[in-house]
Order: sequence, then structure tokens, then C-alpha cells
Amino acid sequence: MATIARKQTVAVQPQGANVREQLRAMDDSGVVTAFLSGEERAFSELVDRYQTRLLNFIYRTIGDREKAEDLVQEVFIRVYRHLHRFDRSKKFSTWAYTIASNLAKNELRNRSRNPLVLFQAVQKNWQEDDRPLQFEDSSSRPDDMYRKRHLRELVEESVAKLPEHHRHVFVLRELEGKSYEEIAEITDCNLGTVKSRLNRARNSFAEIVAPYMD
Amino acid sequence: MRVMRVLVLRTLKTWIMDCRDFRDQHLAFVDDTLPGVELVRMQMHLTECEECARHDATIRRSLMLFRNLPRIEPSPDFSKNLERKLQEAKLLDMAAARSSRTRRLGAAVTFSSVVMLAYIGFSLRQVDTPQDLTLPPVVAIAPTSEMASASPAPEMVAAVSLGLPLWTAAFYAEQTPVHFASIELTSAR
Repeated sequence: MATIARKQTVAVQPQGANVREQLRAMDDSGVVTAFLSGEERAFSELVDRYQTRLLNFIYRTIGDREKAEDLVQEVFIRVYRHLHRFDRSKKFSTWAYTIASNLAKNELRNRSRNPLVLFQAVQKNWQEDDRPLQFEDSSSRPDDMYRKRHLRELVEESVAKLPEHHRHVFVLRELEGKSYEEIAEITDCNLGTVKSRLNRARNSFAEIVAPYMD
Repeated sequence: MRVMRVLVLRTLKTWIMDCRDFRDQHLAFVDDTLPGVELVRMQMHLTECEECARHDATIRRSLMLFRNLPRIEPSPDFSKNLERKLQEAKLLDMAAARSSRTRRLGAAVTFSSVVMLAYIGFSLRQVDTPQDLTLPPVVAIAPTSEMASASPAPEMVAAVSLGLPLWTAAFYAEQTPVHFASIELTSAR
């Protein structure tokens, strides 16, 4: 029995230099299985796949880059600790986003209780370092660049103005491209609520941004 | 003629959409999840209603702006920090597992002690508490008279009948073995 188990583990745990490539070719479920069979490198693969996506999701939800990184790390720590409890009949990405969503919600709740944290976060959010340069096109004229940067800030501000539960759904749908069903699972709401929140969020966002678009 | 009118009205009702319907279905319209017939109705309404057409354009343009926001990348020391935090988490987990084992053992000891104490207490309570005793049936006996216990001993009765005073008889009774022993010593000499 023990021999069969060992053989199975070996099969899932490919030896050699191309382990990473093999892991990269697997879908999420395969990578999770490999990790649970003892292949530690599979966890790095999961981190590679999700770090940027989760970072952007949390960043757009809470608006603080540094804190967003901390929370993404916390997501991965929780994934590492509790992966053995993950129901493998479900999608790994939904599970990871659910953890991220809960952490983001907690962060926003804590901030609302502590105005000082909110102030620091807002201040950080508008620091020069946080502005990604790729948004501006170097071939553009300086006034165009300024306009674009201004527009970007405006869009970010407008998202931040949305109510928390609307923003959550909005980011998951528009940025992460999640289906209504997945959003319902991640946010623990029914489908009707998700649709209604998304519709309201879209309308509110458009209303805020509209005057600056022409 | 009337039938024709009804049919035309019904057809128009099927195809014509009011602004409220349009707004209600706009979410699915933007996400391209509407069935074919509804999609055509929405598109027809767009060509007819300027206000809804403007609303649709605003929504789509604002969404495009949001979707085109630059993606941020993790900082260069993200992986290093994550690795460090994972190590810490592993150590914490190991410590927690150890302490939980100790706690479980402690709980087991405490539980068994409590059970034992409870058992001892229960047993002691059983001893102290008078139980429903089954006593033998009460038998009525005539009380023995005081006089019976005060009756003289048979020796005294015998002494009295011989006319000897009681103390003399008792003295003889005490001295008798000594007396006989001294006679035996005398004859042996």
C-alpha cells in the first residue's frame, strides 16, 4: 500500500529541471494536487499565477498599494496553510479571490473605525512613486501626458467614491472579468444582488466620470 | 380589419421597448448576455431613443477607461517578503501544533482527574447518605424485670444455706489452692 502511495507521489512529483515547466503547463487543479502531494514548488507556481491579479484586485478595492501587497501576502499564507481543506470540486481562483475579498473588506472596515489610517492610506495612494509610468505614452506631448495622468487619477478617485460593496463587485467584474456566478460566490451574495450592485456601480461610476470625458 | 389591427399592435408591443425596460436590461446588454430577440429590441431602442443612446455610450466609455487603468506589478521584494512570512507561519504552526498536543494532554489529565474526583465524591455521598434500610420486623418482647438481673449468684445462695457468712466463703475459696500447695510441700519434706 505504502509502495503504491509512494509511486503516485513520484508520478505527481516530476523529477528534473523541467519541473517548473511541467507545473506551468498544468491547470490550477493540477498544481494544487501536486502541492498537496508534497511538491513545494507548486506553491510558487500558484504565487506566480495569482500575485499580480490579486494585487490589482485588492489595490483597486482598498486604494493603498503597500497595504495591498501585505494583504496579497496574507492571502498566500492562508492558501498555504489551508490548501488541504480546499474543496477541489471548486475553482481555486474563486477560493483565492474569496480570501482576498474578505481581507480587503476587513481592511476597509478597520479603516472606517480608524480615520488616521484612512488619511495615511489616501496620502500614500497619491504619492508619486505609486504612479505607474506605462500609463503615459512617452511619444505624447507633455500636455497630453498631463491630461492622461489627470484622467487616470480621476478614474481612480471615482472608483474610490463608489460604496464599498458596489466597488467590490465592480472591480471583480470589470477588472478581473469574473462571471456573475463567481462574483456571487466570492462576495457571498445571491445572483440578483450581484447584478443589481453591478448595475448601480456602473451607473454611479459613469455619472462621476462623465463630466470629465468630453 | 380588427384582427389585423390587433396583430399589428401585438407585434409592435413585442418589438418596441420603453426606456425603463432598456435600463433594466442594460447590464446584460453591455455584457452581451442577452438572448437574440432582446438584443435586437435593445438595438432598435438605441436607434430611436437619443437619451438611452447617450446613457449607453457614457457607460461603455467609462468602463473602457476603468478597464484600461494600468495594472500594477508586485514590488521587487514581494517574493522575499512572502518567503519570510511563510517561514514564520510554518514556525508558528509547528509551535501551535506542539502546544495543542500539550494542551490536549493537559485536558485529558484534567478530565480524568475531574472524573475521578467526581467518582470519589459520589461514592462518599453514597456512604454518608442514609439509604432506605430494610430492617427486620419488630418483635414485641416483654421487658425483663430489674429484679431478675439483681438475683444473687448461686454461690451466695449455697453459702447462705450452709450458714456461712458470704465473706468467709469467698476467703476460703481464694485461699484454698495456696492451702493445698503448702500441705503438699510439708509432706514432701
